[in-house]
Amino acid sequence: MPLLKLQSALTPEERTKKRKIVIRDSIALFTLLLITIALFTATVFLFRSFTNLRARLSKRWLDRGEAALRSGRPEMAVEDLRSALAYSPGQRSIEIELAEALAGAGRIQEATSYFNTLVEAEPGSGIINLQLARLAVRQGNQAEALDRYRLSIYGNWEGDGSVRRRDVRLELIDYLIRIHHEQQARGELIIAAGNAPDNPSVKMPIAALMEKAGDPADAAVIYKAVLQHGAPNLTALEGAARSSFALGNFAQARDYLNKALNHPGVAAESAQARQDLHDLLEESVQILLLYPSPALSSRAQAERTLHDRALVFQRLQECHVPLPGEPAGQALDPALADVLGKWLQIPLWDKLTVPMLQKDGDLRRSVIELVYETDRAADKTCGKATGENALLSKIANNPGAVEAP
Amino acid sequence: MDIKAPMDAETSIVDDLAPPPSESLSPSAPGIAQRINMAKIAPTREERLFLVLSIFIGVISGLMVVCFRVCIEWIKIGSLGSAPHAGQYRLLYVPAIAGLIVGALVQWVFPQARGSGVNQTKAALYIYNGYISFKTMIGKFITAAIAIGGGHSLGPEDPSLQIGAGVASIISRHLNLSRERLRLFAPIGAAAGLAAAFNAPISAILFVIEEVIGKWSAAVLGSIVLAAISSVVVMRQFWGSEPMFRIPSVNLRDPRELTAYAVLGVFGGVASLIFSKALGYLRPRLRMLRPQTHFLQPAIAGLLVGLIGFYGFPQVMGPGYEVIDQAAHGQFTWQFLLILAGLKILATTLSFSSGTPGGMFAPTLFIGAMLGAAIGTFEKHYFPLLTGGIGSYALVGMGVLFAGFIRAPLTSVFMVLEMSGNYSIILPVILANTIAYLLSRILTPVPIFEVFTHQDGLDLPSMEEQREESPRHIEDALHPVDIPILEGTHTLDEAMRRIATATPGERTDCLLVRFANGAWYVLTAQELTELLASRRPDLPLRDALPTERAPLLFPDLSLDSALPHFARWPVLPIRNRAVKGMLEGIVSSEDVLNTYRQK
Repeated sequence: MPLLKLQSALTPEERTKKRKIVIRDSIALFTLLLITIALFTATVFLFRSFTNLRARLSKRWLDRGEAALRSGRPEMAVEDLRSALAYSPGQRSIEIELAEALAGAGRIQEATSYFNTLVEAEPGSGIINLQLARLAVRQGNQAEALDRYRLSIYGNWEGDGSVRRRDVRLELIDYLIRIHHEQQARGELIIAAGNAPDNPSVKMPIAALMEKAGDPADAAVIYKAVLQHGAPNLTALEGAARSSFALGNFAQARDYLNKALNHPGVAAESAQARQDLHDLLEESVQILLLYPSPALSSRAQAERTLHDRALVFQRLQECHVPLPGEPAGQALDPALADVLGKWLQIPLWDKLTVPMLQKDGDLRRSVIELVYETDRAADKTCGKATGENALLSKIANNPGAVEAP
Repeated sequence: MDIKAPMDAETSIVDDLAPPPSESLSPSAPGIAQRINMAKIAPTREERLFLVLSIFIGVISGLMVVCFRVCIEWIKIGSLGSAPHAGQYRLLYVPAIAGLIVGALVQWVFPQARGSGVNQTKAALYIYNGYISFKTMIGKFITAAIAIGGGHSLGPEDPSLQIGAGVASIISRHLNLSRERLRLFAPIGAAAGLAAAFNAPISAILFVIEEVIGKWSAAVLGSIVLAAISSVVVMRQFWGSEPMFRIPSVNLRDPRELTAYAVLGVFGGVASLIFSKALGYLRPRLRMLRPQTHFLQPAIAGLLVGLIGFYGFPQVMGPGYEVIDQAAHGQFTWQFLLILAGLKILATTLSFSSGTPGGMFAPTLFIGAMLGAAIGTFEKHYFPLLTGGIGSYALVGMGVLFAGFIRAPLTSVFMVLEMSGNYSIILPVILANTIAYLLSRILTPVPIFEVFTHQDGLDLPSMEEQREESPRHIEDALHPVDIPILEGTHTLDEAMRRIATATPGERTDCLLVRFANGAWYVLTAQELTELLASRRPDLPLRDALPTERAPLLFPDLSLDSALPHFARWPVLPIRNRAVKGMLEGIVSSEDVLNTYRQK
């Protein structure tokens, strides 16, 4: 109603003027709308062109950065990737590559700081935690490295997560071995082996790490399993040989080494690697030559037993330990004194001959067991054995394993 | 160190900002008669247009700022290359050439485009009724884009503010609005321009209120909000809704970390001091040089900035947003970050003092981010368990410099919150900003924009002073009732006797009359004598006195509100808000004047 009142209060001239104002304002606003639309359209084209340019530049600098990384020029890659990131802010893959480039360029503090910032935004990222673990390894920060490796293993991975997690676990195991945490390494290896598919290319590295972690038994199981399936694998043969040797199964070690050295692939290995195989084979053969194998004739067993006894007595003499029955100049190690006493219980222990041992199998076994026991006891008093005695010690440590099937 | 430019320079700046004579009165300022006529035939026209135009201003300002930013980037890529690196010769000559072009344009074509844009907008608001010419706006757009894109250490936010204000001024001038309305459009456009530049509407609104208008004004707040939101909507249509800076997760891990933020506040205060002093020292000295040298100054500044870039620090060139991003993401060592902060102060002082058009906001944020990230990185390195993210420090650092250097404390706090989108950072922000602000106030009493104003020969209101003015209230002038009080039922005769029997200390020149409805009347002795001469003495006061009553005033009202009433009333009864008719005291004109004199 007030509007009507107002209208009625206006003179005809004022009404005309009001109409003019309304028309003029409408035209002005319409013109403004047209200007806005025109400006908006122009801005859209301008911005689209600009966005395309940014995308092209981002790709160009990313390609350059990645190429620089691949060609081992991380310092250059840092600049290129920074440029790429400036045109594609927030792109996680570029950020990670940039941080890697910083680490590769030796800019550890910057790389650590950058990765820390990235991990704050994405605490569960497997790749970022892995990179932080590697940086911690380079900085000698063991606790941080172990934490980060574990966060990486249990973190999020794009693509084939199980493979990446296994790789990280193997890297962690390798690190644990390097810092002499073999017990933890063996625990991780059990998990890794349990999760690994039945694929030689996956199993073999695990077996190799098991060897390094001081678990030749499990390593040998893997190597032997690999050798049972498919064509002979040189790496598996070598691994099986080493594992068998470490377990004291010198007969198997010799067999595997012979097969490895006859494998066509061995020619492709380095001369040093081949020499190592030859040396291990030689050592295995030498050890087996000392071993009075039950498979040998009674005479041969008797001869080797007497030879081994002579070796161990020689070792005792060299370190000034009185032979059984001789007066002790100084107090002996109780274990050694005990074993020397056992010798005296064997009839004619110092006058044993090949025929005597050849005839009496029980006596032969008693003597050779006493030889091994004496050798083990001598380790404490006489230190590490050398020469043939060193080989005899390897047998003495686990005589039952020498020719185990 | 407040050196003014020589008079010829002052005159030229004032002349540059002034509207041409043809535009100074008509049609932008319709005559009084015309306005009265408009008020009759279309009383709500201006109010409605005001709101509609605010939206148009916001949208057009947003589009202009998008174009402005794109132009800067294009010029940068075209001149400095897509990835400027130290050792590239173009870093040496491009800023110098850009400076030469800009210097010539500012000297001969767009003299109004000089400076950041904040003071020019304030001048438009306070001196020229909101007038900013089309030429000024375009000049600012072109020269600032060339300078910033060419590598000068300046930012696009302040020019965006002026561009927005220019858009508002141009649009409003063509709609034949009143002078009061025209004046209000400049801050509306300024808010729109700044909101688009920051992609942060709240900060822009607060900045305009804090630094341009100086006070909360209901008349303009709604339009400012509309314009700022419209421009940000447009901006986000193009650049996306991401905040201007990608700040990683922000958190306060340990309360002890506040110590580091306090240290950051101290560093920010000191950096603000150095930055202000450097600008306050160099700018007037360069302007005092012969006018013929002025067009060469941006080129020389460009060459020096280019040298900094060429010899290993190209990060200081341009606004440096991507460097802020890198710093916030921990890509640099703390030593390098401190060097960048120092060099940015140097480069910005050179660029800005030379008269190159461009803003101070981006460099301020840059320096703050570098300082913050440096402290964050240092702490992360040496106290890894104590600290949160480096990004938090960079973010707080930006706010710290904004509080310390720009001296807009409220904006600085909200800017950080708006940029991070995380309110958990509020405690360190408030702590660090307050320290920086207070330190800066102690060390440099005059804010930097005010220093520039004085250097330019203008006398604009000080926003900091305005903000801190403590308004006087009636209660400050109040004194106990020392006048006889009568009820409306008393007769004229009784009133006269009451005056005659006044106790010592009571005034006898007037008395207060209370009515049943709680209203009061101040009856002067002279008025009473006149009434007794013309009316019966036994007539009650309520019937004898006119219907007019003393104004309704309360102790908490502004002292100014009492002033107009002294023309009619010798004293004013001040009432209690809770109990009707009860008096808190009385105020005389003398009390009011004494109160003003005391303060």
